[in-house]
Amino acid sequence: MNDVILTMKGIDKSFPGVHALDHVDFEVRKGEVHALMGENGAGKSTLMGVLTGIFSKDAGTITYEGKEVYYASPREAQTAGIVIVHQELNMMGHLTVAQNIFIGREWKKGPLIDDARMNEEARKLFALLKIDINPRETMSRLTVGKQQMCEIAKAISHEAKIIIFDEPTAALTDTEIEQLFNIIRDLRQKQYGIVYISHRMDEIKQITDRVTVMRDGQKVGTLITSECTKDDIVHMMVGRVIYEEPKTHSRVPADAPVVLKAEHLYAGRMVQDVSFELRKGEILGFSGLMGAGRTDTARALFGADPRESGDVYVEGKKVNIRSPQDAVREGIGYLSEDRKRFGVVLEKTVAQNSTLASLRHYVKYLGMIDRAAERKVSQEMVKALKTKTPSVDQLVMDLSGGNQQKVVVGKWLISKSKILIFDEPTRGIDVGAKQEIYELMNRLVKEGKSIIMISSEMQEILRMSDRIVVMCEGKKTAEFDIAEATQEKIMSAATREIAV
Amino acid sequence: MKFALQRFKNLRFVKLIGFNRVVLIAIIFLMYGFFTILTPILRNGSSFVNYNRILSALNYAYFIGFLGLGVTFVIATGGIDFSIGPVMFCSALISGYCLTKFNMPLWLCLFVSVAVGAVFGSIGGYFVAFRHLPSFITSLALMQVAKGVGSIFTKTQSVTWPSGSSAASWYRDLVKWNGIPVGFFIFIAIAALCAVLLYRTTAGRYMLSLGSNKEAVRLSGVDTRRWEMLAYVMSGTMAGVAAIFYVGAYTTVQPGLGDTFNNEAIAACVMGGTSMAGGSASILGTVIGAIIVALMQEGILAMGFTISYQYVLTGLIVLGAVTADIISRKRKN
Repeated sequence: MNDVILTMKGIDKSFPGVHALDHVDFEVRKGEVHALMGENGAGKSTLMGVLTGIFSKDAGTITYEGKEVYYASPREAQTAGIVIVHQELNMMGHLTVAQNIFIGREWKKGPLIDDARMNEEARKLFALLKIDINPRETMSRLTVGKQQMCEIAKAISHEAKIIIFDEPTAALTDTEIEQLFNIIRDLRQKQYGIVYISHRMDEIKQITDRVTVMRDGQKVGTLITSECTKDDIVHMMVGRVIYEEPKTHSRVPADAPVVLKAEHLYAGRMVQDVSFELRKGEILGFSGLMGAGRTDTARALFGADPRESGDVYVEGKKVNIRSPQDAVREGIGYLSEDRKRFGVVLEKTVAQNSTLASLRHYVKYLGMIDRAAERKVSQEMVKALKTKTPSVDQLVMDLSGGNQQKVVVGKWLISKSKILIFDEPTRGIDVGAKQEIYELMNRLVKEGKSIIMISSEMQEILRMSDRIVVMCEGKKTAEFDIAEATQEKIMSAATREIAV
Repeated sequence: MKFALQRFKNLRFVKLIGFNRVVLIAIIFLMYGFFTILTPILRNGSSFVNYNRILSALNYAYFIGFLGLGVTFVIATGGIDFSIGPVMFCSALISGYCLTKFNMPLWLCLFVSVAVGAVFGSIGGYFVAFRHLPSFITSLALMQVAKGVGSIFTKTQSVTWPSGSSAASWYRDLVKWNGIPVGFFIFIAIAALCAVLLYRTTAGRYMLSLGSNKEAVRLSGVDTRRWEMLAYVMSGTMAGVAAIFYVGAYTTVQPGLGDTFNNEAIAACVMGGTSMAGGSASILGTVIGAIIVALMQEGILAMGFTISYQYVLTGLIVLGAVTADIISRKRKN
């Protein structure tokens, strides 16, 4: 058994109204990969935040290399050798790889920056990690996977002893994941202590030595990975085993009319010859990995981004959609994956957001808004969607994520959209509200609307879709009827295009 | 104390016009009292309380107010317009030159003044909304253009609009007629129209919404470019209107000037509660803000200080008001 390098004991932390960490113990040994698992909100990030000085702890001790330590900031933790490789990468796209790695501690030649030295040092680092990246390359030209490797190299260059990976594979392709795992195995060999936060069960089995599971701010237990099964871990995570029932067959009659047809869409690198049909009353799932071009396809279709070529037909009629205005006129509504940036106007009221796509229908004369009619229709929509808001005069920023999503849905229903594009409809929404959004989508298609649903959650895809389009690197790689779709088929289509 | 403040904030009247505006109105009275006490002390018994002083302060308030009303629209969309002062002077110079040198009818000259402003606003709006230039740099560039065009048009000479009893001086009645501050009523009426436009029409709704989140508005199928441009057109047009009231009060305009008024108009706007971050704007706040700026300069002059003090104070007001806005926004999140 290796030496323990880090011990956290009885860590307690409360935020207003939440007991985020309830006397949690956690340890890391040299040369081990220690998985930290738990549902969203279980307290994993808070625990790591306490460790790296992002949060201060209310109680408990942290012992690192035999000494009790306390870090007031991530910088102090970093100097001591504890580094997080974040889910979102913090890189400056226009700088080179080497410049990114050594930012803030550049070598100098007199008053000037010694770029040659930095490139040389970066090359040594990459050699050590057995990574093939040119230090002179501009960061933004690298794939997400390569960028992440740079982040790891940066961590190593800080003489880290403990490296925390926070969902490192979320945006990676299979090949990239394999490369990442090779690096992690190598780091393990070199006696680094590694904390690995992930939701992906198969990765946990593959790469980690021990698993600590958290639930509701408490530590549930620590297992030796090789001695436990996936079900053991899942059971510890949820305290109950739940599996959503996937849909078994399409509810759409075979003769349902095609309401939307896209033919050979091209728009930049991420939309390459995409064709598909959407039928009345159908939920068409768009599956694929992050960055597969699904959102880009939706935005090109909706006129939000320019389209290079390709034809779009709405109810059999060829349409020329060149801006969101055109799309809205054709009865298409787009619910963005990033609600706060592209969906709602946070500082405006529920009523004002509700009519944003159809305001011209709520005009009395001379462009004067008929505010009574506006309130009335918003109130009806709040009632119909069961949006939880004290009144339609509430600012949208005061609503929860699920209710904000309903406001956006309401906006498109009020504008009488027939085709709704839901882009990651349940992202950032809690479990209960998720269920409501699903029911709402099912109700909408029953009422004759047609839905394109982009989702990265396999369960969501299999549960909601009648038909599934799979995309990979800007191309459509497969289309399945729900009856024939399986996780494995979808995943293999989603990774098909990726060259090794 | 805290409770009393909360109760006061909840009064219907206070809620209607906004706590910020109530405070500003109180500040007007405080300032007036302050100047009334200090002027005799600093200037050997000369008095601040005087109807003519009020008229003089109002003269200043009109054109600053019109500039402020216009720029309120731009700031509501999240932009800024630093060209309004010079555009106002450019309008006054061109239209005044038309009047005095080309003998064009007065009504047409007034129209020219507004039109010149509208043209500048349209150009600025086009570049900001359709070409996605930063409003900051666009308006700075147009500021220079406006100064230059005014000078070139008048061959670098100042223009003095007719005063006295000539037929072509009825425009002065718009400002003051038989000692009655007609301009005040016009100012309030136009401010009311601006308020209706901003709060009650689709155009205003779109401008305010795109100030908070332009992309969300665009993805709702709204042609945001059009409405963003309209804000700049309003700003320019109002600068043209301001020009009429400037010459109505002071008759003489010099080329190459006007930029000092930018800051004062923007100060009026931001102290009134219009947020530099875009999305929320108060027309009433701008009206009151303009009166405060005007009263301040009247008081500063009355107490025997130079106008330079006014520049310092308005600069500080902008810093203070914007800081307060940022703090209150942070607190809300």
